[in-house]
This record gives sequence, C-alpha cells and structure tokens, in this order.
Amino acid sequence: MELDSFKSVFIALTIAGALVVGAFFLQAQRPHVATEQPSAELVKATGKCASCHRRETPAIVEEYERSEHVQEGTNCLDCHQPQDGQESFEHRGFTLATSLTAKNCSQCHAEENRQFLRSRHAAPAWAAVQGSTDFTQEQIAFAEQYHEGAVARPANRLAQLEGEAAREVGCQGCHDIGKPNPDGSIGSCTQCHGRHEASVELAREPRTCGQCHMGPDHAQIEIFEESKHGVLFETNGDEYNMDAEPEELTVRDMPSPTCATCHMSGQGGLAVTHNVSKRLSWYLFAPVSEKRPNYAANQAAMKRACNNCHTAEHTNEYYDDAESVVRATNEKVNNYMNIVDSLRAEGHLTPTPFDEPLEFEIFDYWHYYGRTAKHGAFMGGPDYVQWHGNYELLARFVHLKEKAKELRSHDPSD
Amino acid sequence: MTQATETTTDTPLLQKWAELSLSRPFLLEVFVLSNLFFLILDVYLAHSFNDFAHWAEWIPVYFSIGGTAVLGFAIWQEYQRRTGQARWIGLAVGWASILVGLAGLVWHLEGWFFESVTLKSLVYSAPFVAPLAFAGLGCLLLLNRMEDPDSPVWGQWVSFLALGGFIGNFALSLIDHAQNAFFYWTEWIPVVVSALAVGLFGAIILRPPTRLVILVGYGVLLLQGATGLLGFGLHVAPLFHEGALERGLWDALRFGAPVFAPLLFVDLALLGALGLWDLHAKLADISN
Repeated sequence: MELDSFKSVFIALTIAGALVVGAFFLQAQRPHVATEQPSAELVKATGKCASCHRRETPAIVEEYERSEHVQEGTNCLDCHQPQDGQESFEHRGFTLATSLTAKNCSQCHAEENRQFLRSRHAAPAWAAVQGSTDFTQEQIAFAEQYHEGAVARPANRLAQLEGEAAREVGCQGCHDIGKPNPDGSIGSCTQCHGRHEASVELAREPRTCGQCHMGPDHAQIEIFEESKHGVLFETNGDEYNMDAEPEELTVRDMPSPTCATCHMSGQGGLAVTHNVSKRLSWYLFAPVSEKRPNYAANQAAMKRACNNCHTAEHTNEYYDDAESVVRATNEKVNNYMNIVDSLRAEGHLTPTPFDEPLEFEIFDYWHYYGRTAKHGAFMGGPDYVQWHGNYELLARFVHLKEKAKELRSHDPSD
Repeated sequence: MTQATETTTDTPLLQKWAELSLSRPFLLEVFVLSNLFFLILDVYLAHSFNDFAHWAEWIPVYFSIGGTAVLGFAIWQEYQRRTGQARWIGLAVGWASILVGLAGLVWHLEGWFFESVTLKSLVYSAPFVAPLAFAGLGCLLLLNRMEDPDSPVWGQWVSFLALGGFIGNFALSLIDHAQNAFFYWTEWIPVVVSALAVGLFGAIILRPPTRLVILVGYGVLLLQGATGLLGFGLHVAPLFHEGALERGLWDALRFGAPVFAPLLFVDLALLGALGLWDLHAKLADISN
C-alpha cells in the first residue's frame, strides 16, 4: 500500500476506533438501572415514559424521581405492567395495567402484602361499609379466620340510608383501603404510600393515618396531636430520620413515635408488620369492648414497643389505667343500652334503625364518646378521655334518662 | 446544475433525458427531492408518537410537502432550460430547509434537557440530530447552485456533507439504541459501521484521496447499504410477531422500532457514492 493511502486509512481507522471506544465508554457510564433489565421494553421504560410524562403530568415524574424506587432501580413498567387477571391497554408501544392494585406492589413486597391481608385494613375495612357481597367465598373465609364476624356481615345500615353518592364519595374514600380488586387482590398500597412516591416517610407521617383516623368516631390523629408523643413530634419532627428502614429503626432516628412506630415498625427487636391489628389487645371500636382473641400476645408486643422508651413499670401502669377506662366505659355503655333496650321492648322505639331522632343519640353515645374515651386512654389524650369522652357520656346518660321518662309518660301505641 | 445547460435545445428528448440523468448534479437534485418527499412520511410518523403535542411539530411536515412540490417544479424548470428560475427556487428551498433543520435541533433538545444536562436526559430526549437532515439537504441544494460541478471541489463538498450524515447516523444509532441499552448485540452494528464511514470520509476530507482509498470507500459504502437493509429487516421483523398488529399497523409503526430509520444508511451510502464517484472521476485534478 502506498504511503498516502496508508496514512488515509490509518486516519480513518483512528477516527472510527475513537468513536466506537467513546460509544462503549458512554454506555458503560450509564447507571445499571438504565441498562440492566430482563427485557428491552423494561429498559426502554426507564426513561421513555418520563420523556412524555415530564411534560404531560410532571408531578408524577417528580414524585417518582424522589422515591426510594429510583434508588432501587425500579422503573415505571415494573409497577405498571399487567399482572394475572388485570385489564390492560396499549400506550405508546407499552402494554400497561389499566389500574394498579396491591397485586402490582406485591410482586416485590409479597411479605408486606401477606401481613396486610391479615389486618383489619384489608377485607374488614371494606366489609364495614359494603358487607360481604363484593368478596369471594375464599376471601371471606380467609378474613374470618383472623377477624370473626368482620367480613361475613351485612352492609352498613347507616351507609345504606345515607345513599349511594355519600357512600361512594364519603365512606369509600377511607374504606377503599380494603376494597376487593377484579384481579383477586385486596386494597391499594398507595392509600398510605402515595402513588408515585411509594414512600416510607409518607406512610410514617401521622397525617397519613389521620386522613381516615380522624373525626368524632375515631379521633386518633386529634388524640395523637394532643398527646406528649404528638407534641414532641410537632416540635422536633423536622430533625427525625423519617426515611429510616422500618427494620432498623432506633430512637436515634425518631426519639418520639408516630402511629407507624408503635403499630408497625420493628423497633427494639419487634418484627416489622403491615398488620396494624397485630399489637392491639382490645376491640376499642366496639360499643362494649372485649379483649381480642390474641389479647396477651398483642399486648406483650405493644408493651415491648412502649418499653423502647419507657420503663416496664410505667408501661404496665399506663396499661392498667387505660384498661380501667375501657372497663368503666363498657359499664357506662351497658347501663345506657339497658335503658335503650327497655324502651325498645316497651315499644317506645321502633325496631327500624335510624328512623327516630333518639337513635342518632344512641349511636353517638358509643360510636363517638365511648370510643373517644377509650382511644384517649390508650393514646395519651386526657382531654379526649375527659371532655370529649366521659363528660359527654355522663351528660347524654342524664339526657337519656330524662327522655325515657318522657317517653314512658306516653302510651307507645298513640 | 450547469452541466444540464451544456446540452443544446435541439437535442432529441430521450437523449436530453439520458444526458441529464447521468449528470451527477442532476442526480444530487433527485437525491434531495426524494429525501424531502420521504421526510413527509418519516416526520409524520415520528411526530405521531406524541400526537403532534406541540404545534411546531407540523412545520417539518408542511415544509417537506411544500419543499417537494417546489423543488420538483424547479427540477422541471431546469429540464426546460429555465436555469435562472430553477436556481433561485433551489436557493430559497435550501435556505428554508437549513432554517427548519436548525429550529428542529433546538426544539428537539427540549427545555428539560437544558435543565439537567445528563447522559440520561440526552438519551431520552427527542432525537436531536434528526432535524439536521433538513439542514443537510438544504446545504446540498446550496452546494449544487453555488459550486461549479466541473471543479474538483464539488465532489469534496458532497463527500463532506455525506460525512455530516454519517456523523448523524452514528449519533442517532448510538442514542436510539441506548434507549433500550443495546439489549440486542446487533444494535452495535450500525454504531460501528457508521463510525467506520465517519473515519473514512473524515480521512477523505482531511487528505487528497488516492485511488485505493476511494476503492476502500466504495467498500465501506457497500457495508453501509448492507447495514441499512439488515437494520430495516430487524426493525420490521417485530411486526410479524404474534399479536404485534392487534392495535393496527399504524400504532405498531408509531410505537415500535422506527422501521425507516435504518434506510438512512442506504440513503447516505448513495450520497457518499455520488461524492466518491465525482472524486474518482476527477482524481488527477485533486492529486494536482
């Protein structure tokens, strides 16, 4: 080869070689999440989805990019790909699930889903409004093992009377957490974790639980805010490590607890759980509270959580005090209901629920004030034990006795 | 296109056409015309991906339609020996094409790319090199009107613009295939082959080409063409997979692998061949 030709070919190969080496180098610099996936479609989804959604729905891209999922290499399609039994649709070259459920999350978080299904947040939450009709026999049987009578039950009468619109937009806004999905799964994890944040921090925020656990019938968020735990969190919460791994959480991360710390986290050797019923010893929501079937084990678990920060003596005293409020409230509700039962037996109240003004007072008695007193006792809310609880219980008991006198002064057949 | 004017007006029609067809400047005009025409479909398909979300995405479609019609008219005028009119029309289309190409480049980089200039945002931006196809076609039109086709420089300019195309092909095949992280090893083929073309045409521009280098150049162009056809086959193949056409051919074309993209290798091989042919023919002049 003549020298001129050789020089040209040498230049050509040098340029070509440099370009190819540069291309390999750039590819090697890319994060593994952008290159290591089991399918070409998954790799593509890593950035392709964001290229449109950054413009069309920017908040979800922003939330996703702040999520732990990004650090772990989870991409859009990992969550949005259809699972067995899910409807799908074609979207810009990708096949996506029409709506996501707990089934999508449980691809990776199977244990969390397994725990959740055993909690009252699962089927019992939905059945509390809709009854058992939306569940399969298998789902009912499964839930009844853990919460007898909580799913095999009729639809809530009050919710039925309030009407479909109030039920769908109101009741179900919270009770959706246990909604049966067409794919056979139950619930949606995003109720607590956020749709695209998939955040432990968000689920650990008291306000997240307070989305539903608020108001007169279960005033947990208000009680928490009044409690010393809540005040400490309000004052120092900005300094807490709210992202700490639930399994490795210590008091250094969160010197005072939020709801999730006591009810779910693994602090002090406790196993992390998504079964929020796991550390509860009483059915506080019931008109007359009873001990749960696994009362001792559940109480021991919660006391262990308390003992991370408090002495065992303090914890035991606290429990004794709270249980005395429960027993006293039970007695008050029983006394009240005895009068109600007598009035009904005497014909002064009809058997039809919620057709007379007095019946709303009866409902409020245990559903609002009875529960409030009991929750206040267990969560460190003295004002809720007293003014929002026992004061009302006393006042309304006096009112009922007066009302009973008045009703009995008339012939019920009139 | 001054070669065409050398033919006398009383030459028989068939002979006139044959002479014109074999002239490299005429072939270059046909190359530009066919590319502009094809861009109508190509750009329409590409911008259908996001349903023409931005109004500016219609500009290259309308320009390709108008440019094809006007340039076709100019070529016809040239054939009719109305060279003056053809020259000005070609210049106008050429400048407009460059403008469209540069504007497209800026739009394709998108605001969020500038917000975070990262490898990721580059990979998943709209293909920013692609609109430069318009600029390249515009430059070819200007070249054909501003440079004497009999001079040795004409072929060098064509080769230089082909080099620009090969650089674009390199960037596009690298970035497009980076989107699925070169999931199939075959996706590296166009990167390597286009790098080879960049290297060879770079050397041809940097140094006066020898006969041997030009022959190697033809070989590289054959490789380009073969890569284009192979790529076309590989990009079309998924359409024949079971269920691929469930949502219709149009959706499969819009959201699948870009079926026409590999044909750019064939297209640029033809342009490169035109440049090499001219350099080959004028080898003695270049050497001197």
